[in-house]
Amino acid sequence: MDTETQVKLAVYRHFAETGRRPEPGAVASRAGVSVDRVLEAYQGLRAQRLLALESDGASIRMAPPFSGVETQHRVEAGSVSYFANCAWDALGIPAALQVPGVVHSRCEQSREPLVLDVGLGGPAPSGWLFHCLVPAAKWWDDIVFT
Amino acid sequence: MVFFRSEDLARTWCASHGVPLRPLVRLDQLWALATTWYSTRLEEHSRRPKPQEMRGIFAGLGLEGEFWDPRSDRFG
Repeated sequence: MDTETQVKLAVYRHFAETGRRPEPGAVASRAGVSVDRVLEAYQGLRAQRLLALESDGASIRMAPPFSGVETQHRVEAGSVSYFANCAWDALGIPAALQVPGVVHSRCEQSREPLVLDVGLGGPAPSGWLFHCLVPAAKWWDDIVFT
Repeated sequence: MVFFRSEDLARTWCASHGVPLRPLVRLDQLWALATTWYSTRLEEHSRRPKPQEMRGIFAGLGLEGEFWDPRSDRFG
């Protein structure tokens, strides 16, 4: 397995287990490589759209569907609480973990809370809707805004 | 990428922010997108769909047209 893949798995498994972003040192320990190699791998993973980094190049803002920072989209799965980057990723977390979960979010206009049970086969029937402002061709021009 | 309780509320939000209403996606469609994107994300060989694959995924869910065309969503 190449270093980039080792680092990817270390990052994603840390998120899955803890719901929080790992520090580079923790990724290095888990992947069995140096911190310098971790930071180098981050750049490759960013190019593959598997990570979005803070401006320091070392802190993970996003490892989609997981968010490295608190957001309005929270997911409870097992005994862990996660933050998702967006509404899409809120469903993406149970999908990635392959476990049932509960999505806590809101209506962007009315601020009515959304509490959505998501089973292994998907969300319970619901009339709620998803809206994306940015066209698909522009999503990664500014993925944090998207 | 956010949730709305109804199309009317989405329209109100877009109007108040001076932005266009985009195609609204049902939650069953969103689940299909979420599983397609992420169900293997914790595995060794996982990767994000490439633009050509994205086109097929969107079309399969009835999400077609200029808005869903990832033509310039280049990697790297």
